[in-house]
Formats: sequence, structure tokens, C-alpha cells
Amino acid sequence: MSATDPPGGEPADEADPTAEMVEQAGLDEPDLDRGVIEAWAAKMITNPDRAYRATFYVATIFFLVTTLFPFYWLFVVAVTPRNNLSEVGVVLPAGFNPAAFIEIFTTLPFHRYVFNSFLIATIATVAVLLVGSLAGYVFGRLRFRGRNAMLLLVLVTSFFPPAAFFIPLNRLFNTNIDVLRPLISAGSLYNTPYAIFIPLSAIFLPLSIFILMTFYSQIPDGLEDAARVEGTTRIGALFRVIVPLSAPGVATAGVLTFISVYNEYFFSSLMTDGRPGNWAPMLEGILRFQGEFEVLYNLMAAASIIAVLPVAILVVVAQEKIVSGLTTGAVKE
Amino acid sequence: MASVKLEGITKRYEDVTAVDDMNLEIEDGEFVTFVGPSGCGKSTTMETIAGLTLPTEGTIEIGGRDVTDLPPKNRGISMVFQNIALFPHMDVYDNISFGLRLRKYDQEEVDRRVEEAADIVQLEGMMDRMPKEMSGGQRQRVAIARAIVRNPDAFLMDEPLANLDAELRVHMRTQLQRLHRELDTTIIYVTHDQAQAMTMSDRIAVINGGVLQQVAPPLECYNEPANRFVAGFIGSPAMNFLEGEATEGGFDSQYTQIDFDPETHGVTSGQDITAGVRPEDVFLEADARKATSPTKAFDAVVDVLEPMGKEMNAYLLFDRDVEASAEGRGEGQLLINLAPDTDIAEGDDIRIVMDRENVHLFDRASGDAITHSLE
Repeated sequence: MSATDPPGGEPADEADPTAEMVEQAGLDEPDLDRGVIEAWAAKMITNPDRAYRATFYVATIFFLVTTLFPFYWLFVVAVTPRNNLSEVGVVLPAGFNPAAFIEIFTTLPFHRYVFNSFLIATIATVAVLLVGSLAGYVFGRLRFRGRNAMLLLVLVTSFFPPAAFFIPLNRLFNTNIDVLRPLISAGSLYNTPYAIFIPLSAIFLPLSIFILMTFYSQIPDGLEDAARVEGTTRIGALFRVIVPLSAPGVATAGVLTFISVYNEYFFSSLMTDGRPGNWAPMLEGILRFQGEFEVLYNLMAAASIIAVLPVAILVVVAQEKIVSGLTTGAVKE
Repeated sequence: MASVKLEGITKRYEDVTAVDDMNLEIEDGEFVTFVGPSGCGKSTTMETIAGLTLPTEGTIEIGGRDVTDLPPKNRGISMVFQNIALFPHMDVYDNISFGLRLRKYDQEEVDRRVEEAADIVQLEGMMDRMPKEMSGGQRQRVAIARAIVRNPDAFLMDEPLANLDAELRVHMRTQLQRLHRELDTTIIYVTHDQAQAMTMSDRIAVINGGVLQQVAPPLECYNEPANRFVAGFIGSPAMNFLEGEATEGGFDSQYTQIDFDPETHGVTSGQDITAGVRPEDVFLEADARKATSPTKAFDAVVDVLEPMGKEMNAYLLFDRDVEASAEGRGEGQLLINLAPDTDIAEGDDIRIVMDRENVHLFDRASGDAITHSLE
């Protein structure tokens, strides 16, 4: 945005020659008949603020249209009656039938799919924040031999494309492990939420470690020392003092992880058989609306809109927290 | 309340020894100050007592209990930090009661104790303020309240007044002394400011380069410094040092001779020694009767005069050829205290005497004190 903002202090000596030039041009060619574009350009030269404002609006509108239009179009598709699906309008729907928003819950238990995804993303976020906090504390606040090497190792694991892990993980999760039998009926992790949140937590962990490490390293040593003298352990000091003071960082890492896991496609679509009772995530639910002979685009669109809601609500809530955290820090530091 | 005992405490980092074989016994209820230049290891020593740093060698006892391997929370101590270290996300009440709540005291007890502690440091009616809304002095009082609320066996204070302005520092100094009198608890205090150490402590532990130099009451450190470092560190303005040699008849340096009997003071003729004399133990020849035992008079030139109000500091040169160093304390220079109405001007030639009773001698090689009086 900053590029389109009008710069505050336009140097005065620069404005003067421009004005002079225009005046000069006016004098040399007094009866010049300008075209529309030429006249517009001349106005922009004499008044650069207008140009900046114009670019700002163009950029903003472009941004809003590219972001929001797909949503609008999803809505258009969702309310298009089933018979008219072959001729979906671009701006206005071909007919209006909001029943799709109810059908998605009656033809399939779509709420169960959303719940599965929501639960998996929540567990993954909690796990990532917990492990990431411990790792972030160690990397951010302790000095020890091999710290940089280990940090590099964490970074390297995030370089691998997730697909590289898929085959071995899929084999592993399909193996029956006798120890797990009392916990999971089949004894294998396939068709359980663990099969999705374990690999995804591991994949998104390095990013959170880096975010949390940066925040935790900035908390003064004195505060941790004070907490420890007052009666906490190191871990107690981490969760009672360091984490609350790093709230913006924790919120950022948490929201990023939640959204990534909730939206994830690859593992989510392959680690279960797609049945809602087997912890298939939201994504599988949306794909289930395409049958053998027919693709119910209106139901898919309605499901997509419903699926976005939890994340949208979370981001709105968390964003407020992030912003308030940042401003309290700014005012109080 | 408890005694604190350090036995052979050594703290080594990879290539530096921060604290070297420190042995110290602090009695129950005593106010002991660790003083020394920055980087001398006084803070590290305190951190090992607190348990924030583990010593490489040695043991620490608090109240007769070996706490060397205990975490800070189990040592029965509380601490006030240089940067105050209040928890910024908690109000005053939560800050003060933090330790009590962690120890699961019941709510009534917590309220009662917090109120009592706030009363002692005069913080009534500020319980719901956030640290950022308070002045430096108020925050410091909250930190002290947080330290006293748990009735610890010992208080550790790491330069608690360093971040306060001069006026507030003097005020808080008196407050702390009053607090010590009221609570009668062992206090270990770290500072680099010898004035704070002198005014507040029962005993001073002077530390330099990680080594304990002297542990003694303030006046003893002042009047009978164990070595040249202590002599130069304690007292402001600092002691004058004259480099010279012991002769048959006393002390001989480039500019001064002091007569005394070497044998009675344990000096051998030819030994390299340093004489030390405090600015207030040098007098103008006219005032020689103020000295208990004046030496013979020396010539000097007044270089710079600093009127301080109740006294006047005069930087002297023994000789017009002496090149004055920037601090005014180099070889051939002498700083003396004079009455503020003394009638001299910069550039005057004067004659001065020293009070032999208060001339210290140090062995130049080891720095150890040989005698504290040439009487």
C-alpha cells in the first residue's frame, strides 16, 4: 500500500519548475487543443497527489475484486438451481434457489466433515504451539553447543516437499501395530485423525519454531530470572511470563498453523478412505458432491462457503488479538 | 532469616574465570554489600547464590542447608533486579502476589500479606496499576514489595538503585536501610558504587577480577584496606599513591621523602613500596598542627582547584615540570582536600605536609598492605 500512498513531503523546489514548465507550455502554445488523455496527463503533472490517489484506488479495487469476486461467484454458483448448472451466470445467477445450503447437510453429513477438520486443525495447532514453544524457548533463550546445527536441521526438514514423506508414512500408518490395538480398533493409524494431524503438525512445526524463537528471544532475561526466583521452574516461567508477553507471536504461529492444516489437501485426501465416520476432513466432503454421472457444482460451492466460515471467524477474532497485542506492546514498551 | 555461606565458589565460563575460589560467611540478619568495578564477578556471585547460575565448583549453604543443587524457587530467597523486572502483563497486586499464588497460599493469607508488604513500601491504593503506568521509584517499590512479601530467608539485591535518578537513589537508600532495620533479614546487596556500599552495609565484600579482596565493616575497609586495590576503590575522591622505595630512613620517592623506622613497620631497605595517603590527610604547612604527626614539608604547585561547597579539592603537582594527566591522579600529582575558604589560587607555589599517622604502605609487587600508619 505504501507505494500508492501520497508521499508526505513533496520537495517544494521540485514543484516549482513543473509549474513553470506548464506555464511556459501554456505561453508557447496558447491555443493548443488538447485531447482528453492529454488533458488528464497534464492535470496529473500539475497535481501529482491526484495521480497517487488514482493509483491507490485502482490498486485497492483490483485487490478487492480479485479477492472477493471468487467468493461472490461461489455464491452465484451455489444459488443456481440444479437444472441450470450448465449455464451458470457470471454476475447474476441463472435462477435463485438457496436450498443448496440445506441440501449439503441432508445428502451428506457435511457438518461432520467440517467438525473433523476443525478438530484435527485444533489438535495440530495446540500440539505445534506446545512443542514449538519448548523448542522456541531452547533455541531463542539458551546458549549451547550445537545450537546452530540443530536449528539448521529443523530448517532443513521444512525444505522437503510433503509428497516426499507420503509413501513411507502411508505404509507406516497402514501397518497394524499391536501396541495400538487397545487405543485404536484396527491397530493402524489409517482412517484416524492421527494420520492427518501427526504429519501435518510435523510439517508446519519448523515455521512456528522460528516465529516463536524470535519472539521469546526478545523477552529480557531479568523477567525469567524473577519468575524463577519467585517460584516457577524454567517451564513455568515460559508459560506464565514469556508466552503471555509474546502473545502476538503465539497468535500468529497459531493462526498460520490452524489455517494451513484446515486447508491442507494432500494428506487430508489420502490418509482416510473419505467416509465422515473415519475422520475424513472437510475437503473430502466437498469432493463427495461429485457423483459418477453428475457434478453438483451448486452443492460444492455451498459447501465451500460453509467451510470457509470457521476460519474466517477465527481470523477475525485472532486478528483483533494480534493487533491489540501489537499496540499494547507499542504503547507500553 | 538465615546465614549464607559460600565455600570455594568458582565459576568458569569457557575461557574466563568469573569468580575464583570465593569463601564468605554472612551472618543471620547481616547487610553485606558486594562491591567492585563492573565485570568483577559480583553479579555472578549473587546469581550463584540465587541459583540462576550453577557454580563450577564449591558449595552454597543458606541457613545451614546445602542449596548448591537446588533450583532458585527452593532456596528461600527473593531478589530485586537491576532492571526491576516487574511482569509487564500483570498489575501491582498480581506482581506482588505472584510467588504466594504459586505456593498456593489461600486467598485471605495472600491478601493480608500483600497489604502488609505494600504498606511497608508505601504503595497503598495502587494495587490495580500496571507497571508501565508507574514512575521508576514506584516500580522499584513494587519490586521490593514482591521480594519481602514471601518472608524469605535472605534478600538478594542486584544494583537495585542503578536505574533511578540521583535524588531518588539517595531516598531509596535510606528506605532500604530502614527496611533492613524493620525486617532484620539477611540482605546481600550488589553495587559498583562504593558510596552505597559504605553507607548501607554492616560489612563490605570488595571483589576484583573474581577474587575476594577484603571483607570488613565499611570503616575498616576505609581505614585499613587490605591491599592497594581496596585502598583505591573505597573512598571518594580516591587515595593518592606514591611509588617509591624503602630506605634506611624511611620512604623515598622521586618527589617526597617520609621518615620512619623501616624495621618497626616490617619493611626491608630497598623494597619497592607504594605509599598511600587520602586527600583529607594532607595539609598546608600553615595547618600542620591539624595533623597528628606531620611529615616534613614538600613543595607543590596548585594545578586545578575544585570548590565543592563544604570543601575544596586541590589538584597539586610536585613540580612544574610534571605533566598533568587527564584525571589529575598520575605520578607526581596529588589530590588534597582543603577548607573551602583557603586562600590559594591556581598556579600558586605552596608547601604541604602529610599526616604520618594515616599514611599506608603497600608492597608494590603483591599490592598487599604493609602498614596503615607510620606512627
